[in-house]
Amino acid sequence: MKKILIVEDEKILAEMYRDKFIEAGFEVSATFEAKEGLKLAKKEKPDLIVLDILLPRENGVYFLTELRNDLEISSIPVVVFSNFDDPETKRTALRLGVKDYLIKTNYTPKEIVAKIKNYLK
Amino acid sequence: MEQILLINQIFLFLNVAVGCFLAFWVLLANPREKLNRIFFIVTILMVLMVVFASLGFSSNEPQQASIWYRLNGGVVVLFFIAAYFFSIYFPKKIAENRLLTKLVVILCSLLFLISVFSNLIISGIAEKEWGMEIIFGKGKLFYYIPIIILTLLIIYNLFKKYFVLTKEERLKVQYVLMGIFVFALANFIFNVGFTFLIGSVQFQHFGDYSVIFFLGFTAYAIVKRELFGIKVVLTALLVGLIAILLLLDIFVFTSQGWLQGLKGVIFVIFLYFGYLLIKSVLLEIQRRQEIEKIDKAKSEFISIASHQLRTPLTAVKGYISMILEGTYGQLAEKQVRPLENVYQSNERLIKLVNDLLNLSRLDAGKIEFSPELISLEEMVSDLIEELRINAEKKGLYMKMVKSLKPLPKIMVDQDKLRQVILNIIDNAIKYTNKGGITIELKKIDGEEEIKVSDTGEGMTKKEIESLFQMFSRATAGTQLHTEGAGLGLYVARQFIEMHGGKIWAESPGKSKGSTFYIQLSIHLDPELLKTKTKTITKTANDIF
Repeated sequence: MKKILIVEDEKILAEMYRDKFIEAGFEVSATFEAKEGLKLAKKEKPDLIVLDILLPRENGVYFLTELRNDLEISSIPVVVFSNFDDPETKRTALRLGVKDYLIKTNYTPKEIVAKIKNYLK
Repeated sequence: MEQILLINQIFLFLNVAVGCFLAFWVLLANPREKLNRIFFIVTILMVLMVVFASLGFSSNEPQQASIWYRLNGGVVVLFFIAAYFFSIYFPKKIAENRLLTKLVVILCSLLFLISVFSNLIISGIAEKEWGMEIIFGKGKLFYYIPIIILTLLIIYNLFKKYFVLTKEERLKVQYVLMGIFVFALANFIFNVGFTFLIGSVQFQHFGDYSVIFFLGFTAYAIVKRELFGIKVVLTALLVGLIAILLLLDIFVFTSQGWLQGLKGVIFVIFLYFGYLLIKSVLLEIQRRQEIEKIDKAKSEFISIASHQLRTPLTAVKGYISMILEGTYGQLAEKQVRPLENVYQSNERLIKLVNDLLNLSRLDAGKIEFSPELISLEEMVSDLIEELRINAEKKGLYMKMVKSLKPLPKIMVDQDKLRQVILNIIDNAIKYTNKGGITIELKKIDGEEEIKVSDTGEGMTKKEIESLFQMFSRATAGTQLHTEGAGLGLYVARQFIEMHGGKIWAESPGKSKGSTFYIQLSIHLDPELLKTKTKTITKTANDIF
């Protein structure tokens, strides 16, 4: 069973995606904060991380920078999934090696699961 | 003669005072920073260099002058070592070639000893009526060649990192290069120009004094976070240089009192207008910076606001779609339709937010353009599958006519093109009640064409003319649907034009259907590829 880590501060959305991923047969762990997300990534070693950008305290870019600097978890693929459609942030995230930068409103949870399955092939 | 000595002393005093001030200003701004410490050393060496040269020049005895001039020669060498380190650390450190650094330090130390303790560089002093002049020895070339190589190495270090620096850091380097340029220009004027004109090196010290420009620019670049644009600096420089030349003309080259008075008046008038000129350039730049700040704040506000609007829309979209998919249990048949309606209404809101976000970016005059190589056939095919359900619900057919030969991949901004095609097919479904939609792809010469034909309401010529303008909808839009804001096709045109492509619509008339065409060049114009940010200022002005 593939493991997914969701770093998402909107509780409603985190629950929604978690439900969908579990339904699709994934093992899911979720957190609301970047630092907690890094701890979980080290502990759980997920197959992929779904990351929001605007998070309380440290943001998604911080998460990505720290992740890439930590050899233990630096190779875990990350898909940014955010409603923050800022070109500069998008460029930074892509430079930090994210697989994709998706805008949440443009996809249903089902479409997201399909995309993630594609990345994990 | 006395006048020259007096001006010399005034300039020397100013140099020492300003130099010391700059050295301590930079050091105290951040004493722990290596760059600030190196600048402090560079500046102190520069001040010593100017002082020793001036003392040599104005000495009473050749023996004394020789000591000062030799010390000056030695300090020049030390200065170049420090300047070399400065070029490594300014504005941020680059990986240094350690072997080269060692070589520079060893060779320059050797050169320092030779220039201070031997006759190879300075062999003697000639007494002139205006002061003491150096008589160079046989080793003159051995002194100047390393200095020239070191200068080139310093400039190379600065240029090498220039292209990997941020905009602000580049401006800092420009400041230093500007300082070096003024220093070099003043040396050229006073050391070469005046020597050629008068046949004497008596004014060469004025070239030395211009080092204060280099120090001033560099200190400012290190300490200040926000620098003035290079235009202000150039204007100020020009005014300053002309003022110095006018001043020299009054005191050195004019002997008649009345003419000195007249030139003095001209000098004062020049200073006043020069001040006004610099002030107006400064004001202009400040205004532009303020506008840029407002633009940035506006853009950030739009990004945050759209984020806040999108979050609840995402939850509604996600949960409704999951309820419809049966994630939370089987739905009763009569529950499906109302939920689908909620879903569609939510989609309209999402589209509106996306259009407004795009519009605000077009309005700001800047929008990201990120082309990548993609297959148009794959993209259109995916979009058709995505929208097929909407067409089928209305009982419409939807077919794709592919080119006989597979189309080559094309450089486009995937997100933007996807949005445009989605918009056009979505409109076709919306405005068609009978028949269906045909999407055709083909290659025409160096271009790929996407043709979307429907059997819908059709349009009049007048409607077609205003179709791609803002807040415009064909009458079919107002009669059949009230949801569209009339922004979609306007944004679509902007996006296609960003690609250097064309978009237009045709219709034989009312009730005869419409056809939309998009043509994109297979080989994107290299000019469009060069920049990631496309500025559409003209269209932004057109909007309001």
